[in-house]
Amino acid sequence: MLDVQKVKQRIAELRKLPGIASKPLSEILEENGFTRRDFLKWSGTMAVALGLPASFAPVVAEAAEVSDRLPVIWLHLAECTGCSESLLRTDAPTIDNLIFNYINLEYHDTIMAAAGWQAEQNFEEAVKKFKGRYILCVEGGVPTKDNGDFLTIGPEAETGLEKVRRTAKDAKAIISVGTCSSFGGIQAAYPNPTGAVGVHKVVNKQVINVPGCPPSDRNIVGTIMYVILFGQLPAVDNFNRPKFAYGLRIHDLCERRGHFDAGEFVEEFGSQEAMNGFCLYKVGCKGPYTFNNCSRERFNQHTSWPVQAGHGCIGCSEPDFWDSMAPYEEPLANHKFESVSADATADKVGITILTIAGVAIAAHAAISAIKNPKE
Amino acid sequence: MKITKKIITKIEGEATLKLHKNQNIIEFAEIEFWQYRGIEDFLKNRHYNDASVINPRVCGICGHSHLIATAEVIENALKIKITKKAKILREITVGLEIIQNHIKWFYLTLFPSIKDIDYFKALEFSRDIAKIIALIAGQFPHNSYAIAGGITSDLTNLEIIKIKNFLLKMFERYQEIMNIEGYSKDLEILFEDIPKNIGKSLNKFLVLGNNLFFRANGEIKFVNEEKTSSFNKNALYNDKFYEVGPLARNLKNPLINKIYEEHKDSVYTRIFARLYEVNLIFEYLIKEIDKIDINEKNFIKPRNKNGKGKISIEAPRGSLIHEIEIENEKIKKYNIIVPTQFNLANGNKQNLSPAQAALINEDEKYADFIFKCFDICAICVSH
Repeated sequence: MLDVQKVKQRIAELRKLPGIASKPLSEILEENGFTRRDFLKWSGTMAVALGLPASFAPVVAEAAEVSDRLPVIWLHLAECTGCSESLLRTDAPTIDNLIFNYINLEYHDTIMAAAGWQAEQNFEEAVKKFKGRYILCVEGGVPTKDNGDFLTIGPEAETGLEKVRRTAKDAKAIISVGTCSSFGGIQAAYPNPTGAVGVHKVVNKQVINVPGCPPSDRNIVGTIMYVILFGQLPAVDNFNRPKFAYGLRIHDLCERRGHFDAGEFVEEFGSQEAMNGFCLYKVGCKGPYTFNNCSRERFNQHTSWPVQAGHGCIGCSEPDFWDSMAPYEEPLANHKFESVSADATADKVGITILTIAGVAIAAHAAISAIKNPKE
Repeated sequence: MKITKKIITKIEGEATLKLHKNQNIIEFAEIEFWQYRGIEDFLKNRHYNDASVINPRVCGICGHSHLIATAEVIENALKIKITKKAKILREITVGLEIIQNHIKWFYLTLFPSIKDIDYFKALEFSRDIAKIIALIAGQFPHNSYAIAGGITSDLTNLEIIKIKNFLLKMFERYQEIMNIEGYSKDLEILFEDIPKNIGKSLNKFLVLGNNLFFRANGEIKFVNEEKTSSFNKNALYNDKFYEVGPLARNLKNPLINKIYEEHKDSVYTRIFARLYEVNLIFEYLIKEIDKIDINEKNFIKPRNKNGKGKISIEAPRGSLIHEIEIENEKIKKYNIIVPTQFNLANGNKQNLSPAQAALINEDEKYADFIFKCFDICAICVSH
């Protein structure tokens, strides 16, 4: 699969297609104060992030340059817009973000110039014109109860369910951006009054999930880059998440990991232990059960991440985390499953979370509790 | 008479505006929101602390205000008093959220509805503001650093100094967008093509929150909700509609008041109040940060297990209300009323909401702009 020649061939073919950008990427980057050297450095780190050999770095750069040839359609369903917020605005303008702006975004209602009826028309045209060629990115869960009437969009009051099915039919690739479109998200928490589900449940095509609440821009752009590079979807885990981003547990690369190993835990927020920066497992950190790269990539231009600010990971890139990871300030091992919501997900928790590693972690924490008795 | 349906996009979600017109003049407007998620239902029977993780997801753009409101309503219910240090740090993150919201609203939502603008400068500004929030809270948007009893982060003196320097630098940079005398080149450019005096509304203002330097002029107990034909619920005060938001809460500022005397509650005054509020928040935060005593506690553990609470804070778009009932540490009832429910309510011809009143008797071609002046958040409404 990792055949540089094949990828180069593909890029050469893409280069022949008309692009939408008014000027080449190199110029846009230069105008924003990034040098060619910065760009190649970015390509190198992106290649590594995608799990490719370093020799792929120049190819990644080339792929970024032709990324305006592949049309992208971006749909907003039941959500809070936090994903777009995190990606398009808050983290701008990093190179990831500039490239995101450079991508041939045929339809995205928050950032496109057209609005209202005009926007709707652009959408219909893009779907027709790029039939079978566009990448569909979806943000937000799909309400399915009462035929999806809890979310209607546009002048024709089309339900989100109809719209995503219709758009998915002729898409070349489908990417679910964020936990809501991946697994239903907050809308799907018990009692799920709108019957919200992830996109993969309502279309019969493979969907790549890029979960997180919100996911980092690196993971979103990385997935799109991969599709451009290889013309196919990246290797995924059993929840269809790209392995390059979701291959390791938060816990594996956590800055507080040393304290975990040493049995040094925070037992109460605001305590001396909390000030010492000890491990947050006992105040509910779900890092050991959560697959994502936050501890490596961080947020807001690598400024910080929730664990650094003293609150445990809430497990936001795992399916059903709103129910299975709650209460968020208590360790999972104390989970008593007394509410109806917890019962509903208990089976899933059993399979997906409390693996042997999970049990071992709880046991380790319990043994250390004897060493450092609580209060 | 003719009725046209208009879809308002780029407002963090989508709203439907049905305009009743005579020629091009708007005679009546119906406002509808067609999304529903049911956030309050998810909270029932959960531990009260779960609300501080769930509620920010009401909205991706003002979620931090929901986080702080959640922490405060639980503290109100369980009778917890947090330390001054925790209070000031929360004020800083909420204040910064308001600032980045106003800048994005002006450059990404409002300005492009009239003419093109290079909004890169604004994006960069918001990004740097978000970085300061991340220094305190870990991430932006969506973090959980504020919990009932205080905050989870433990800042060092060096970090406080760093944050203060950041604030000073950003305040200075903001002078290019609107200076302390109230001059803004971009605002002048925006109003080259559009009259200043359109969009006059009810001229009745409501402030319910007491955070930052804002002072309430009403009591939460008089607020009631009523159902509409779409998924939105109207918010009323003593059964009447009032305008909430930056204009309402800054009317006493001499400079904003001068503009108000001249242009009344028109689009111009509304936009001016918003942009100028940023300066006032910067000034306030820079003064407040010096009052932090680093030796104070970050967090005080709640002891009570039962209680009822109802609070309001001033969020980017106006007064935000959270209400809770806790029984044996579990949430029995939760209710959220967002500012857009006041400003964008769907009233009838006898009792108009602020946005409806602002649209009536205006030319249809300004409808989109007048509507967006209120900084609508359809996502918040669809909680």
